Amino acid sequence: MDPVTLTKLAANVGAGLCIGFGAIGAAIGEGYTAAQANIAVSRNPRISGDLFKNMLVGQAVAESASIFALVIAILLLFVDTPGMGQIKAAALFGAGVSMGFGAIGSGLGSGFPGGQACLGIARQPAVGSRLTTNMLIGSAVSQTPAIFSMVVALMLMFMDFSIQPLQPTWAALIGAGLSTGLAAIGSGYGGGLAAGASCESIARQPKSAGQVTTTMLVGQAVAQTPSIFGLLVSFILMFKSFPAATNWSAPMALLSAGICMGFGGIGPGIGNGMTAEGAVRWVARNIEHAGDLMRIMLVGQAVAQSTAIYAMVVSLVLIFVI
Amino acid sequence: MENLGQVHQLVVSLFGFNLVFNLEAILMTWIVFGFLLFFGILTTRKRDFVPQKFQIVGEMIVGQFYQLTEDALDREGAEKYGPMICSLFLFMLLSNWLGIIPHLEEPTKDLNTPLALGLMGFVVAHYAGIKSKGFKAYSREYFQPMFFMMPLNVIGEMAKIVSISFRLFGNIMGGSIIILVVSHLTYSLLLPPLLNAFFGLFVGTIQAFVFTMLTVVYISVQIK
Amino acid sequence: MAIEGVDLVKAAAFLGAGISMGLGAIGPGVGEGMVAAKACEAIGKNSKEAGLLTRTMLVGQAVSESTGIYSLVVALLLLFVV
Repeated sequence: MDPVTLTKLAANVGAGLCIGFGAIGAAIGEGYTAAQANIAVSRNPRISGDLFKNMLVGQAVAESASIFALVIAILLLFVDTPGMGQIKAAALFGAGVSMGFGAIGSGLGSGFPGGQACLGIARQPAVGSRLTTNMLIGSAVSQTPAIFSMVVALMLMFMDFSIQPLQPTWAALIGAGLSTGLAAIGSGYGGGLAAGASCESIARQPKSAGQVTTTMLVGQAVAQTPSIFGLLVSFILMFKSFPAATNWSAPMALLSAGICMGFGGIGPGIGNGMTAEGAVRWVARNIEHAGDLMRIMLVGQAVAQSTAIYAMVVSLVLIFVI
Repeated sequence: MENLGQVHQLVVSLFGFNLVFNLEAILMTWIVFGFLLFFGILTTRKRDFVPQKFQIVGEMIVGQFYQLTEDALDREGAEKYGPMICSLFLFMLLSNWLGIIPHLEEPTKDLNTPLALGLMGFVVAHYAGIKSKGFKAYSREYFQPMFFMMPLNVIGEMAKIVSISFRLFGNIMGGSIIILVVSHLTYSLLLPPLLNAFFGLFVGTIQAFVFTMLTVVYISVQIK
Repeated sequence: MAIEGVDLVKAAAFLGAGISMGLGAIGPGVGEGMVAAKACEAIGKNSKEAGLLTRTMLVGQAVSESTGIYSLVVALLLLFVV
């Protein structure tokens, strides 16, 4: 199959996967927001105008991950990017996979703060603006893993890889896409859990707003660490030049490194998000011990991340030692 | 667009080793230093008990961060580490905001800057830990909760540096790449400045705050 | 023929190592996160027992880690021994 056909084929499949997977998360997240908004309106119909506005704003932020996926899909279909040869096919497919998977978690996660903010405003209309601000901050931070996936996708599309040998670099590029894309699922979802808990807690105890926001930001930042490891492995796979190989073991090792770090980031991301959710919820109820709670949250998150560290070690061994 | 990965470098041969200087990052860091010095001089020019304009801004920022440090580290900790934490935050904030000015780019876009800041925080935290607990108690911590967990604990500590630096680097460099690609593809006048405002100002502020908070928390975990 | 077989076997071993560690990291991550979340809640309710609760959490997390360590061992075996 000649390179041009192969490239077009890979670009089309990549675009399809990209928007196909990318549409899942945001839709479910926005649905959750709307469901909670309905419950909120039924509890407090008088402020339904504010609730409606808040729901739309929250849904718009949750949509952003899918919009990134749509942009990448359209770029894959219609824009002629530099580079040529069969290796470009691998790069474009990797880009589609990266953004496609990466948008799932962030979309799902950003639904939580929107929904909880609507419920919170129904419960406590006086803190409405504070809740909306917190919802926006929390959702924006939980979009970060999707942003990482988009960065990797853009780099895979616009960097010229044709000077690298085809075998094994094709596997490195697909692995780079998988690594960030899959690892972003867990971190996006986990970050969203923490943001949702913070909105709920501020509504229950408005005086604790500052501490709760701080704890939420720190918890989300640590929950994003698995996706950062995925980004690191992706960068290494994209920028390291591999010697040409004729056997199958070298490309499979690189593809496997990407799969390993990608899947390895899902679980710890979700787990860290659950920890942050618990800590944020209880910081609001027991604000004098906020320092202790943050410390136990960080210790617990650090231990829960250990499997992500194992996965990163195995990935790095696969890249550098094999 | 083609020079996405290119960086102007100055290679100096010294004693047989090649020292590589990334020119853009160094120059931009000096510009940030200049801004910080200028801001500092403006704030402390006439120190009155009833504060004037710039002094109010300065007192607000410094007060907030001393409060944050005091919450995590108690009074003596705040005295010792407050200045470092405050300067860390201001440096990172201005570095992340530098991209707004045309023709200037953020020094945190080069991996070396966040990595250096992360290493500095790591060294300060562990030095504080050793000084306050003594070397024996400090090294015993690595063997908790099971004896064979030692290599995993050490790797975990290294992973903290990687995560904190790469988070800042990924967010800032990612933002600048997205702005670059969008400006290349669209001819809109409105979209790139909006994106610049979001990624540069908003994300930059949050990431600087998160980095600082995590450094404070790492120090407090070691001291405890 | 024999040489090609060895190469395919190695390639499959590498792929298997990645899948093993990758999928194996999902479960312990979620489980240990749940443990830490409940520990935060418990300390929020009863902050005087922070030391005991921390120790319980760490032991519980270490035990939940075991399947993750099994996957790590199998991955390393696939990489270096097979």
